[in-house]
Amino acid sequence: MGKTWQRVLAVGLAFVLAMAGTFLFAYRAGRRARHIHTANEPIREWMSVPFIAHTHHVPAPALFQAIGVHPQQPRDRRSVRHIARDLNRPVSELMTELQRAIDAAAQPPGGQPR
Amino acid sequence: MSDSLLAAVSQYGAPALFAIVAIAAIGAPLPITLLLIVAGSMISQGAMNLWWAIGAASAGSILGDLSGYAIGRWGGPATVTKLSGMFGKRVRLEAMEAKVKAWGGSGIFVTRWLLSPLGPWVNLASGTAGYPWHRFLFWDMLGEISGVAVLIFLGRLFSDRVMSLYAVLGDLTWAVAALLAAVVFGYLLFKYVRQARAR
Repeated sequence: MGKTWQRVLAVGLAFVLAMAGTFLFAYRAGRRARHIHTANEPIREWMSVPFIAHTHHVPAPALFQAIGVHPQQPRDRRSVRHIARDLNRPVSELMTELQRAIDAAAQPPGGQPR
Repeated sequence: MSDSLLAAVSQYGAPALFAIVAIAAIGAPLPITLLLIVAGSMISQGAMNLWWAIGAASAGSILGDLSGYAIGRWGGPATVTKLSGMFGKRVRLEAMEAKVKAWGGSGIFVTRWLLSPLGPWVNLASGTAGYPWHRFLFWDMLGEISGVAVLIFLGRLFSDRVMSLYAVLGDLTWAVAALLAAVVFGYLLFKYVRQARAR
């Protein structure tokens, strides 16, 4: 096989890979977009308690109460990591407590799931 | 580091957004798309003003872009080489300069929002290529303001789905990049097959 045909083969392979990538990522984007309203929003260390409350449709005071924090101001925008540092507690522990409070709000005792 | 930056925007709002976006526009690889979506969500929660957020993010990115352009134009080859290697990426500026000359304003516009990772290198190359600054500013402002506004409005619209929206946009960006690569490889394939047959 000549050098020219080797070049055709290499570029052809790259073309097929690029097309496969296009379809793969477009499919994934479509699937994610279809389930955007039902997908579980993760809790991250950088998020503030009001932010987490908003993304999970739970009142912010309930989440502050769950982690035993009195908000420093009406809009306490400290991140979970910042609060953990202030309380001298592990971040993972606070995140677990927040998740538990969110789950409890979604399924109140004796009530129907939200 | 991304977590600290996101926490800073969440806590300090528009001033933090301005500073982080400006640094990213010079070339630091920071998660700007996610920051702008988070800003949109915060607007929806009443924690940030819409126009302040759009103004701060646009001004920051334009300032960062102009800094890159100025370094390219007046900083000299040593500074440009140093900066292009500073963030772990060395690009062939000569090749980028040729693209800036060939694409002109549309290249600057597209690299503000769609192919944004190339933005800082296009800024440097525009400066070294001597692209007129007023034209650079026009296309830069057009691209940055529209890109920032779209992401902030999307964040506002899907304010309770921030991470999911970010994942969708990430996949869409990869799909568009792969499609562009397919177009380039398809063109090359067509050209090489014709050359091979002609021999």
